[in-house]
Amino acid sequence: MRWAIVRFPGSNCDEDARFALKKAGIRAEFVWHTERDLRGFDGVFLPGGFSYGDYLRAGALAAKSPVMEAVRRFAEEGRYVVGVCNGFQVLTEAGLLPGALLANLNLHFTCKEVGVRVERVDLPFTRLYGKGQVLRLPIAHAEGRYHADPETLARLEGEGRVVFRYAPLKGEADYNPNGSLHDIAGIVNEKGNVLGMMPHPERAVDGLLGGEDGLPFFLGPVREVVG
Amino acid sequence: MPRYQATLLIELKEGILDPQGRAVEGVLKDLGHPVESVRVGKVLEVVFRAEGPLEAEAKARELAQLLANPVMETWALEALKELP
Repeated sequence: MRWAIVRFPGSNCDEDARFALKKAGIRAEFVWHTERDLRGFDGVFLPGGFSYGDYLRAGALAAKSPVMEAVRRFAEEGRYVVGVCNGFQVLTEAGLLPGALLANLNLHFTCKEVGVRVERVDLPFTRLYGKGQVLRLPIAHAEGRYHADPETLARLEGEGRVVFRYAPLKGEADYNPNGSLHDIAGIVNEKGNVLGMMPHPERAVDGLLGGEDGLPFFLGPVREVVG
Repeated sequence: MPRYQATLLIELKEGILDPQGRAVEGVLKDLGHPVESVRVGKVLEVVFRAEGPLEAEAKARELAQLLANPVMETWALEALKELP
């Protein structure tokens, strides 16, 4: 498998993404945000960071960059598109996923480990997890409060498109780190090939560096192809 | 072609919690000001060329729609003036 990792000016989780993809056996190549052609790739990873300095809104300017037209076509072809953190913000700003990510309720840039419950396991990215399994994943963001109008929320819930939800790690009551509606941490599009999430699975793929709960996320698509 | 300056006001939709506004509101209240609420938005001043006032207004509205996120924001064309 060959994946593209899109680099916007200000991306800073691109190397982490490559580390994780490589560890899963995926060939990963960096692609600059001015690229207009993504042919030959099986997946696209939009990494975290502060694209365009988060100016205007987080992800707003990156969403209008040349590569995003290619990402849109790529998604329409049913190929994998994953956006993590700033990448999730870019996907919502580009309209590839519904809703928006607003400033955390407490206004803090929050950098810590959180519990993330896997809500569905029929996706390539989640097929190696157990349903209801609570992962330990890091978050690092200031704008992660998922928001959508009531109709969109109802639709997401009804169609089972909430893939990841914040959950207690040790029974703590304040497990939702940013005020996201319905504790939403990650969602997927209708076809199931475009996924966005605020927690960082790519930063949790090595036992020496904060756990391996993120590794199955990257192994899933590979195993699907092989199996 | 004449130059125009459009002033675009982008605000969070009513009903969307604005923690930034809340923080400013809290400080103003702490200072003893009789403040009821504060919402923080953005003002963009965009300078561009257009054939005339009608085209300038249409362009300004197009830019506002491009720059505001309808999921969480509303926009208004606050002012449009021809520059010397």
